[in-house]
Order: sequence, then structure tokens, then C-alpha cells
Amino acid sequence: MPKILTYIEAISEGLREEMRRDPSVFLLGEDIGTYGGAFKVTKGFFDEFGENRVIDTVLAEAAIIGAATGAAIAGMRPVAEMQFADFVTNGFNQIVNMTAKYHYRNFVPIPLVVRLPSGGGIRGGPFHSSNPEAWFVHTPGLKVVAPSTAYDAKGLIKSAVRDNNPVVYLEHKYLYRHIKGEVPDNDYTVPIGKADIKREGNDISVITYHTGVHWALEAAATLSNDGIEVEVIDLRTLLPLDRETILNSVKKTGKVLIVHEASLTGGIGGEIAAIISENAFEHLDAPIRRLASLDTLIPYAPTLEDYFLPNTQKVSDALRNLARY
Amino acid sequence: MSKVEVVMPQLGESLTEGTIVKWHKKPGDKVRKDETLLEISTDKVDSEIPSPASGVVTKLLFPEQKTVAVRTVIAEIDTDETAAASAASAPAKPTAVETAPPKVEQKSPVQEVRPVATPQPSLQAMPASGRFYSPLVLNITREEGISMMELEQIPGTGEGGRVSKKDILAYVDAKKKGIALPQRAAAPAAAPAAQPAAGPSAPRIESTLKHVESGDLVKKYPAPQYEILQMSNLIQKMGEHMVRSKQTSPHVYEIHECDMTKVDIVRRRNQDGFEKREGFKLTYMPFICDAVVQALKQFPLVNCQIDGDKIIVKKFVNLGIAVATENGLIVPVIKNADEKNFTGLARAVNDLATRARMKKLALPDIEGGSFTITNYGGFGAMMGTPIINQPQVAIIGIGSIEKRAVVINDAIAIRSIAYFTLSFDHRIVDGALGGSFLSAVIKKLENVDENLLV
Amino acid sequence: MPSTTKSKHKKSSPAPKQTAFSSLNGVLKPDDYLKLYRFMLLMREFEETILKLYQQGKIVGGAYSGRGNEATAVGSTFALEKTDYLFPLHRDIGAHFVKGQTVRNMMLQHLGRAGSLTKGRDGTGHYADPKLRIYGNISHLGAMVPVACGVALASKLRKEKNVVMTYIGDGGASVGEVHEGLMMASTMRLPFVLIIENNQYAYSTPISKQFIVEKLSDRAIGYGIPGITVDGTDVLEVYRVCREAVERARKGEGPTIIESVTMRMAGHAAHDNAWYVPKLLLEQWKKKDPIGQFEKLLMDEGILTTQKKESMLAEMRSVLEAEAQYALEQPYPPGEQASEGVYAE
Repeated sequence: MPKILTYIEAISEGLREEMRRDPSVFLLGEDIGTYGGAFKVTKGFFDEFGENRVIDTVLAEAAIIGAATGAAIAGMRPVAEMQFADFVTNGFNQIVNMTAKYHYRNFVPIPLVVRLPSGGGIRGGPFHSSNPEAWFVHTPGLKVVAPSTAYDAKGLIKSAVRDNNPVVYLEHKYLYRHIKGEVPDNDYTVPIGKADIKREGNDISVITYHTGVHWALEAAATLSNDGIEVEVIDLRTLLPLDRETILNSVKKTGKVLIVHEASLTGGIGGEIAAIISENAFEHLDAPIRRLASLDTLIPYAPTLEDYFLPNTQKVSDALRNLARY
Repeated sequence: MSKVEVVMPQLGESLTEGTIVKWHKKPGDKVRKDETLLEISTDKVDSEIPSPASGVVTKLLFPEQKTVAVRTVIAEIDTDETAAASAASAPAKPTAVETAPPKVEQKSPVQEVRPVATPQPSLQAMPASGRFYSPLVLNITREEGISMMELEQIPGTGEGGRVSKKDILAYVDAKKKGIALPQRAAAPAAAPAAQPAAGPSAPRIESTLKHVESGDLVKKYPAPQYEILQMSNLIQKMGEHMVRSKQTSPHVYEIHECDMTKVDIVRRRNQDGFEKREGFKLTYMPFICDAVVQALKQFPLVNCQIDGDKIIVKKFVNLGIAVATENGLIVPVIKNADEKNFTGLARAVNDLATRARMKKLALPDIEGGSFTITNYGGFGAMMGTPIINQPQVAIIGIGSIEKRAVVINDAIAIRSIAYFTLSFDHRIVDGALGGSFLSAVIKKLENVDENLLV
Repeated sequence: MPSTTKSKHKKSSPAPKQTAFSSLNGVLKPDDYLKLYRFMLLMREFEETILKLYQQGKIVGGAYSGRGNEATAVGSTFALEKTDYLFPLHRDIGAHFVKGQTVRNMMLQHLGRAGSLTKGRDGTGHYADPKLRIYGNISHLGAMVPVACGVALASKLRKEKNVVMTYIGDGGASVGEVHEGLMMASTMRLPFVLIIENNQYAYSTPISKQFIVEKLSDRAIGYGIPGITVDGTDVLEVYRVCREAVERARKGEGPTIIESVTMRMAGHAAHDNAWYVPKLLLEQWKKKDPIGQFEKLLMDEGILTTQKKESMLAEMRSVLEAEAQYALEQPYPPGEQASEGVYAE
């Protein structure tokens, strides 16, 4: 019997199943043991798996990521939790210089997952709301995933744990408890590197992930009433990108809106736009448009944050503009 | 660093300021000499301003929509040899990094980019109309074997009349099924002003205007029920001129019927030969211009202006032709129209209308008119009451040319009829003069020389 | 007995060599002494060979010298078992050899050849050889400490009783990740030994500008773990102290910091003539040459003879020359291999 899980429950369940399946999987991070994690992703894990598999560490992100890398070098499958994605900067050197560069130089697999609770919309302000994916997408050697649904969240955490490469797993904090979805009972995975068409349409492609998927789906439903059929591509994996799915959709619709919650400049939208113009230029019937957060900090006051973030209305407006073009 | 200053140009002796409508470059951008640097708008004309030098734009000193005095420095360009050289070569010679397809890339499992696909330049020549076609539309055009000339005739439903994917696919589909092909209302190179028979195809001015997204009005007129647009300089000035004209001149209107049947016959008889010879379509407009010029010579007071208690009679005819463009109404002027023959007038009409739509008019092109013709018939109007273009004293308006049943020699006949309106300034032109003038215009048209073009 | 952080053990008054020597009787066999000597000599001769190749323009990147550090590199690693993990620095070439690395692999690695352990993707000692449990340094030396801790964590979680030894310089010891790693190692009682190679200079920066504690081992107080300072030119002392730390780690008693005091007898790398180092300082340290001191001791004890030394040296040099020649004849990897192997299967 398939069941309905929240996004966060899906992540927990995926992790729990992988830990039961493979004794080399263990977790480390701040407050993840007896406390169950700042967001309770690992609630109950300590009791089930014990202190040697659910390890509370010192408050030192470089040590957490570095130790996870070391354990992976030694053949284990660590899953490191950053309490907030924002704090990964403290361990940035470890990820980009140690973790990401290890296999290419030494042919030693690094089966490591770094979980980053990311994203805004939770009134977290400048230091608890970031979407840092672009940094890691620009780091060869890593894989970067960003699920938008409960099904994908579970399937991707399981794939990430089983992958022999370091995977940055971006879990969106706003989606944690706002999104529920059906999750099958059987042991399934969602392949890394494969985008998903969340809605089919012939008129405009929205290429997005995380919260953007939900904005796009809501906007698409509205526009459909006016006869504009929007295709929603959920990237799910940001590195490596599923170029084929992106390009096929563009070739079908001829118009593209790229949506992400991360800030505009230097965001992954620019990369996708470049891929499209390099490979599908002659299929474009309109300029490629991007919708993203402002190029500012993520502000604290609700009015400011709401203005900063994209939302369904902004996606809808952008789509109508494209339809009109 | 050698610096070149860009100043707000004076596009006419009387001008003191200009508005920066749009910067085409940002600081840091390379620019070639004579490449468009910005668009400006003045009281009289909108114009693209070419860069005075090659180099790198270092500073833009004023934002868009800012009005500044002429000769004010508005931008700076660094013309250092290196900067200038790379700017000059940039479009022609992309760097190796951009284009050289490293062999390994193809094998690369990480980077699956195909060696940058040099897109086949679309085979067609660029359209003469300046109409924009998306890569997809050009691609479909090529695959379906549609010529540029054919493409130019396809009506567009996209923004600003753009031919969208749907439009071209509908056209291809209709063509394959042998259904009547949709045709664009007016050929882009010909003036709708000169095509009274053509269907309505008003340029979509609103698509060229900036959206207003902040300010009090946004609250008063909330989206999506409302959309707030910024009036362009041109539109604002048009409004001011119109109001001033109505306040200055007591307008009187006379409407006469004109039988265009003979003009139509002459036009159609000579159409093909004319187009082959001149490269553009023969319209009604040169016939009307010719008749107006001759009538003005006959009634010089209609070709005058008032200065205080003096009447200034002009010994030349500078004929203004109102043209609707996507930026608004503009009235280019055929200078010394009285010195041109029929073909000369036809060429002048075609040239000005084309350049008006491509925003290539210079200030002299729109200055110094002594009389104006406006043609609203192209948009379907049977009659109109045009406003005089100050400081002139009269304007003639041309309604749509329609086949009507009329009585000739007690018999009912089908004739091509148009209603001509003369709006005149009763301070100087009275009903007798106005009526005589308009009758003269019509008489000349109704008795057009059949061998005019032979 | 050198002991914990309270130790009065100072580099200026090392334990008498005879004492150190005799205290290891029963631990080291006569043959082991010769091995220690041989590894130190090999390290120096290998580096001399590399320096020559560098001067001939045959080394792609830089060439580093561990002159003065031979006793630290060799003595410390000699305390490890085959199953222990080693994370050496660029001045610890001898450590690689002690842990079983071949001259051939090291030569190919320095010359960036296709057949090297990294297939030419990285140079010098920047490689990993999981079979030998050698995990070479990256340029961000401080970043190695948390990773080494992670290996120690894995060892602890799997109850393998393997010890991880890593190094940091007096310069690298200032990097924040070293602190983070030590925080984790100490709180988790990881089987971990950190050797701080205090060789007086970080590139051109003297230690006077790098720390104001008396000894770098004093930092151990902050972590609640043993901290020992040892004469880094005395291979037996280094070995003895490291052996104790390794045993303690293996018994589950947690990590140790060992400051090994020595002198960098060359510039930061081959391009640097170290003009900023006072000549007098070099003269003084020259008298404490790790190889010279140990050689004298072995000869005094009758373990080594001049004849034995000469034949050892001759054989070593001929091997090095042959291996250098072999490596030079090997091809570079084909360029297109650059795009392969970003991900593991």
C-alpha cells in the first residue's frame, strides 16, 4: 500500500531504509543523535542505530565534512548533515579541495552524502535561508541533487547513499512540511542525473527544481484555463544536468522560462540558458527568460522576503509575457 | 587610457534637450564606431545614436528616460588601442575558447556539450522590412521551403505583430491543405498610409512602451486588471501639439466624395511594370499627393501660415504624410513636392514611410511641412476630422476607398468611392476657398491622366 | 620519560643518545637501525635526484626538499604497522618509502607520467595508494587533518585498531581545520597521531611570527590530550615518542600531538634560495644533521662501517639513476584522458 508522506518524512524514511540495508552507512552532524536533528530528520535514529551510526559531532563543519570524506576513503558510506545549508561555507574547503578532487586524482571513490537544508520562505533571514547550489554545480567531482516532491526526496536520498561519488543533497526547508506526496512501499530509487517532466505541455517549457516546481505547477494550472499549455521540467539533479530532457522539451515548445529560488546572477539558470542556445538555438521562438530571486541577501522581514523570492504569481506573469511574445 | 566623450547631440537647431530612451550598451561593453550606442527621443524625432568611436564603454552618466541638455556629456568610451582593437574584432573573431571545439570534448563523459554547434546561418537574407523573425521561425521557413518574400507576407499574432511559431505552422498547414493563405494586411515596405484599400493593421504602440511597476498608480490600478504604460516622449509631444492646434485654429471641416475609379484603373494597369521598375508597390498615395500639390499651386492661401497679423505665403510645397508607426504617429515631409513628377513623389512616399517604420528618420525629414495629408482609410475609417498640423492652416484626410452604387447620368453604377475631408483654419481659409481647393483636388483625381505612367 | 603536556622535555637538552639507543634495545633489532639509516639516506638521495632533474628542466612543477626532516619523516612512520594509515607531507618523502612505496612510483609521480599512481593528474607526493594505506598531501595541508580524523573514525567504528598518523608544519598548524580536526579527534578519542613538523620557517615566515607559545605541543592542553616535543633530528627519539603515541592510540586512549623540532635546510622549494634565513642559524643546525648524527652513532656502536655505507650509497645511486631514466622514458598521459574519471563508477 503506498502511503502519504511529507517531504521530510520521505527523507527520513529513505535514510532509515539505507541504514538498515547497509551497515557501512552512518550519519554524522550536529545535534542529530539524541536530539534528532534541528529539523528532526533523524528523529528516532539514535535509538534504532545507536551512537556509532548516528554520531553527534563538535560544532565544526570542516571537521564533519572532512571526517566524512576520510571515512569514505576508508570505505564507509557517511551521510553528513549541515544544520543549515548556510553553514556549509565553514566546510567549503573540505568539499571543493578534498572531497571533490579526490577521485579524479586518486581513483579512490568517495561515497559521501552531504545534506544541506536549504532555501527561504521560512523567515530565516540572511544566514538561514541560502540556496548555495551554484557553488557546488561549479565544482567538478560532485553531484548535486535537489528534490521537489516526497517521492523524489526519498528516491534521491537512497540513490545518493548508494552512489560512489560525493553527493550534495539539497533538501528544501520550506518543502519539509508543506509538501506531501504518495510514496510506494517497495524499495525504489530515483536516478541521479535524470530530470522529470512534472507536467506536459506544448506551448512553453518551465525548467526548474525545488520550490520552483510547485510555483510552476500552480501557474501552469491557471494558464491552462486560458489555453496556454505549460510543460514543467523538474531537474531533480543539478549536476550532472539532464541535457537531453531539457533540450527535448525546448525543441517541443520553442519557449523557455527558467525558474530558481537561488539568486539570478551566476545561478544555474545562466548555464541552462547557455546549453539551450548552444544546442537548440534554431528551435527558439522567443528569448530564453529567467526568473529567480533578487541579487541581494535574503532579507528577514516578511515583506522583504516575499518581494525577494519568486512565487506563483511571478511565474504566472512571466509565462503570460512569454506566451504573448 | 584615451577617453572619448559622448554628448547628447543636437538633432535640429531649435532643440535644446533630448531624452535617453534606451542604452544599447552597458559599462564594460565593447562598442564599434558607428554601432548604435543609444536611442534618444526629442520633441521632434526619435533617433538611434551611433557611437563616435570604437572602444569600451566606461561610463553611462544618465539613466534611461532622463532628459538632458544638448551637448551634455552622457557617456564615456575608452578607446585604448587594445580595447578598441578587441572591440573591432570581437564580433568577427570569437576567441579560440569560444569556438575551437577541443577534440576531447566529444568523448567527454562529463561535459556532453557538442562542440559549439555553429548554427547554420539562416539561409534567407535578412528581411528588408526590419521585421524580426525568431530562430525557430527561420528554421521552419527553411525546412518548409518558404521564401523570405513569402514570409514577409505572413501576418503575425505575436508581440508587435511578430510571426510566432503558431503563425508559421498555421501558414504551413494551410499551404499544405490548399486553404487560402493568410496574408499580411500591408506589405512592410509600402506605407499603409498609401494603401487605403488595405485592411486594418494598426501598429501595436502599447508593445513598445515601458511598463510602470512602481508608484502610487500601481496601487490605484492594480494588476492584472490594469496595466500601466509610460507614455513615450513622442506620444506626449503629439498630444501637446494636438491640444495646441485645437486651441489655436478654429477648425472647419468639409467632406467631399471622390470617385477613385479611374485612379484605380490607372494604378492597376501600371502596377506590375511599376513594381518591376521601382522595386515597390504602386499605391494610391502618389496620385493623391500629385493632385494635392497641383491644387495647392492653384490656391496658395491653403499653403500658408499665420504669424501675428501677417499671412506668410509659401512659394514651395513641403508635403507632410502622416505615418502610423509602432512608436506613434510621425509626419515625414516630402520637401519641394511641387518640383517632383509622379514617380518622384511615389519614391519619396515609399522612402519616408519605410524609414519612419524603421526609425531611421532624421530631423530634416520631419521638419518644415507646409501642408499635410493623413490617410485613416487604411484602418477602415470612412470619414474623419483631422487636426491641423500647426503652423499649417489645412490638412486633408482620406477615408477608405469602397465600391459603392452611385448614380451617373441617371444610371446606377459601381464606382470606387472615397470621402475626403479638408480641415482648415477659418482664421484664413473660409468655406469658399476650402471648398474650391478640395474640389480641385478631387477633380484632378477623377480626371487623372491615363498616360501618367507611360 | 617524555610524557604529557606537563613535560619539561626541551629540544635544547635532548635525552642522551646512548640512553635513547639503549632504551630501544629489545624493541629495535640491529637490522632495524640499518633500515632507519637506509630510509633516511634514500630520502636524501631521492630528493637530490629530483633536484637535479628539476634543474635540468625535467620536472613539470616544483621540487621540494626535506633536508633536515629525514629523522622526523622516517622515525615517525617506522612506528606504524602495515595496516595503519599514513597522511604524509611534502617534506616526508622518506615516510612513503618506509610505508612501502617504491622508488619507481615516486619517480613517475614526480615526473607526471602516464604510469604514475595519479596517471599524471597530480604531481610530487600528491597521490593515494590505498594498498599501502598512504594518502598523500594536498596543497592545503591543514585540510588533511579532518580527513585523517575521518579515517581514524572509520577505524574506530569498525573496531579495527588501526592508527592514523598525519603531519602538519609550523605554518599549517595555524589553519582552522587543524583545530577542528583535533576537536573531533580528542572528543571522540580517535586513534590519531598528529606530528607538527616545526622546521622554523613557513616559506619565508619565521616561527616568531607564527606562534607565541613556548612549544607547539603546548596546544595539546587545549584539547586535553598528550603533547610532546621531541628533537626532530634524532631519529631514535622521534621513533620512540611516536611509538608510544601509536600504542596509546591503538589501545583506544585517543590522539597525541608531537612537535618534532628540526630545521628546513633548503628553501621552500627549489626556486627559493632561502636568502632570508640567517647563515649562522643554518650553520648551527648543520651540526645536527639527522643523517650525520645517526651515522656517527651507528658507527660508534659498530652497526655501520664506512665501507658498508659506501656500498649502500653506490647501490642506491645506481638504482635512482636507472629509475629516473626509466621514468623519463615513459610517456605523458594522452591529453584526452583529462576528461575522464571525474566520477567513480
